[in-house]
Amino acid sequence: MTRYLIRRLLQGIPLLLIISFILFALMMNMGDPVANMGGRRVTRSSDYQRLKRQLGLDKPIYIQYLYWLAGNDWTKVDMDGDGVGETPGIRLGVLRGDFGTSLVDRSPVLELIGERIPNTLILMVAAEVLIVLGALVIGVYSALRQYSLLDHTVTALSFIGYSMPIFFVAMVSMYVFAVLFKRWGLPYLPTVGMFDPQVGETLGQVAYHMVLPVVTMSVVSLASYSRYIRSTMLDVLHQDYIRTARSKGLNSRTVVFVHALKNASLPIATVVGLDLPFLLGGAVVTERIFAWPGMGRLFLDHVSRGDTPVVMGILMLVAVAVVIFQIITDIVYAWLDPRIRYD
Amino acid sequence: MRKSLLIVVSLLVAASLVLSGCGGKTPAPTGTVQPAVTAVPSPAKKVVTIIFPQEFDTLGPLYTDMWFAWATWQLYLAWAWEFDENNEPFPKLVTEIPSADNGGISADGTVITMHLRDDIKWSDNVPITADDFIFTWQMAVSQQNTVSSAYPYDHIADVSAPDPQTVVITFAEPFAPWLATLWHGILPKHILQPIYDAEGTLDNADWLKNPTVGCGPFLLAEWQSGSFARFERNPNYWSTPAKIDEVFIRFVPEAQKEALLAGDADLGTYIPYSDVPDLENAGLKIVTEPNGYNEGLFFLDDTSGKLGNPGLRDVNVRKAIVLAIDRDAINRDLHYGLTKVPASFWDALPYYNDPPLTNYPYDPGQAKALLDAAGWKDSNGDGTRDKDGVELVLQYGTSISKDRQDTQAVIQQDLAAVGIRVEIQSLDADIFLATYGEGGPAAKGQIDIMEWSDGPVFPDADIYYWLCSEIPSADNPQGSNWFYTCDQKLNDLVALQSTQVDANARQKTISQINQLFYDQIYWIGLWQDPDVYAVGPRLQGEKFSGVTPFFNIADWDIVNP
Repeated sequence: MTRYLIRRLLQGIPLLLIISFILFALMMNMGDPVANMGGRRVTRSSDYQRLKRQLGLDKPIYIQYLYWLAGNDWTKVDMDGDGVGETPGIRLGVLRGDFGTSLVDRSPVLELIGERIPNTLILMVAAEVLIVLGALVIGVYSALRQYSLLDHTVTALSFIGYSMPIFFVAMVSMYVFAVLFKRWGLPYLPTVGMFDPQVGETLGQVAYHMVLPVVTMSVVSLASYSRYIRSTMLDVLHQDYIRTARSKGLNSRTVVFVHALKNASLPIATVVGLDLPFLLGGAVVTERIFAWPGMGRLFLDHVSRGDTPVVMGILMLVAVAVVIFQIITDIVYAWLDPRIRYD
Repeated sequence: MRKSLLIVVSLLVAASLVLSGCGGKTPAPTGTVQPAVTAVPSPAKKVVTIIFPQEFDTLGPLYTDMWFAWATWQLYLAWAWEFDENNEPFPKLVTEIPSADNGGISADGTVITMHLRDDIKWSDNVPITADDFIFTWQMAVSQQNTVSSAYPYDHIADVSAPDPQTVVITFAEPFAPWLATLWHGILPKHILQPIYDAEGTLDNADWLKNPTVGCGPFLLAEWQSGSFARFERNPNYWSTPAKIDEVFIRFVPEAQKEALLAGDADLGTYIPYSDVPDLENAGLKIVTEPNGYNEGLFFLDDTSGKLGNPGLRDVNVRKAIVLAIDRDAINRDLHYGLTKVPASFWDALPYYNDPPLTNYPYDPGQAKALLDAAGWKDSNGDGTRDKDGVELVLQYGTSISKDRQDTQAVIQQDLAAVGIRVEIQSLDADIFLATYGEGGPAAKGQIDIMEWSDGPVFPDADIYYWLCSEIPSADNPQGSNWFYTCDQKLNDLVALQSTQVDANARQKTISQINQLFYDQIYWIGLWQDPDVYAVGPRLQGEKFSGVTPFFNIADWDIVNP
């Protein structure tokens, strides 16, 4: 297993390099970050030339990629536009842990990401826990009570939830539970933000503000997860070894939760394992609508302004997380199914 | 193995909980009172909450041209002169606005002399002097600083200080737009000079994100990226203290209407017209403030004859287009009648729109007659006019927004009714506004009708797009004359007006340009594009300016705090 893990980690390095170059090339062709720096006006031509030069955006794409990867402290930058580099570069490059600075606000990329990751993890982990636990309960019960009234009800609600676009769920829930409930004198939920700035960032405030965005994200995903679990449970419940377990006199709880669920959870582990790294990327639509200061909003705000360093930082973080969580998923597989060995 | 896995999972969950307690905060500035984040404000505390749909990228002057940053500068900084609700200038840091009458402007218009008040100071009690102005100019033009724009400081030959309260600005040539463009926020030399000397640049200065000193009625107390910024009353303000204790600015990109309806804010900004009826019904007051911007159409009228549809090079075709579009209906139906059609590019500057132009009427019959007379007829029966084998098919492009997409659909229908076929392009703003060098479609002459919101350098009348020298090419990839129009008379007038410091002479020049725009249909106004605010019932005393939006924030008050 150790040799397998080391091999997988080493394989991840060239994969990440290829991913980084492809993403960088795509970002370079996604618009002009300097075009919008004039505010509501087109950037003046003299400022445009200067900013392109100062920010290193006048270099060929492969040079820009090289500086992003390896830094530019080994060369000099032409800041004054005389064609001769005179100012030593200060970037160390990604390979030395420097993801550069934002083109929009000149803040270090890692600092920007570091400010937002905790906010995203709070939201996404809570949503994922609610989704997985809720889906397990609903999926198992539906499988055990196949074709019952509850099963049909849950099936119908699942299809409705799965069909609704998330922004619609978000806006409706906000309007009903925040605006209308307050107007009607009922207990209400907050509209936007992570906490009320006038009260402060307390545990209660954050939990209170999390309700709507977490429930919004859960409604859509719960539907698909519960259907998936129901389907895999039904497959397993009809297997011979389940019949054998029942005929041996094992109680129903043991049959379902020890024998059936464990075997049914292998494909579920795959789905959850694929989802986990994307928790770091945040929920773009939900965070934007609820003004939650997370990674999704950071990504959207900066990709719309062509801010390559920040967008690359976020995308590479997710790419690294995908590689790592794939390895973790494989380990979980081996735990769930003793027949699987990687040596 | 199983136990190890359980430990790893447990550590991951624990790590996320720990990280949740390490939420990103910009540390409060040193030297100021540190309020407890979890403290509940006393009942009598007056707090105003403002919603910004977009977060400012930085707070430092020179480094951003975002409206949302400009608006905060009236909280913690001050301009040399600011502009009131009528967009008229009034002295702020200076004793009086420089003019020819008071000796503030030299006879040849190249030297501006400002006299500073002797009671102005930074919040750390260091006096504001001419040295701060000289330092601001030096930082604006320094090649080591990645400022968003060096304009207009790059037009200045020298800034000197014969005494601490006098600033003498010498331009290389007479520069008419100085009043509207100079001294938008001053940098504190005593704070930033040491940083510049040590690092060779201001780019990484903490003050740009966390201004420890200011000279406005408020000071920044806290800025949580993506969440809010909090300003507290400046205890060392050199003028009348603010009435309110704190200003919260919340960053809410999408659900601003819902937040206002729920009473979570006192003031909303950049209100979409579609939200106005609901907000008014809920008791909020809608205030519009002219800012010089008008939404309009620009035409690809390539003087060299190589780019775009040849139809647009005929002024009668352009006239037919303006007659064929029901612009009143656009304002009535898409903007609930809240906006009007501007007849002039200088619509918000009546002094320069004199005599005032009147709008071309909506007259599709006359539009058809003009097209017929110009030789554009539907010879092949496909519903689109043609001439000499060329179909009158126009590419109509703009950036993505609901308003603009709706407008494109209406205009497409209106022009189809007179036999002009329009093909719509809706592009991301950074693609649509990309320069010739970046392959921007508008800049490369690939779009016949271009739509965006624009105006003169408000509250000045300056424009520069229509200079022949601004036509983009491989040798001039940053050129801004995306219309490819080289009208020599227009070029000469545009070049002249920017050097005319004498207001009367400049007014006559701009009036000629105004008339030329109208006669040659170089621009078609669609709707006035003012700043739109939604004011909650608690907020009193507020006024807004189209140049310095929150100019009187020190006078704002809260009733029933």
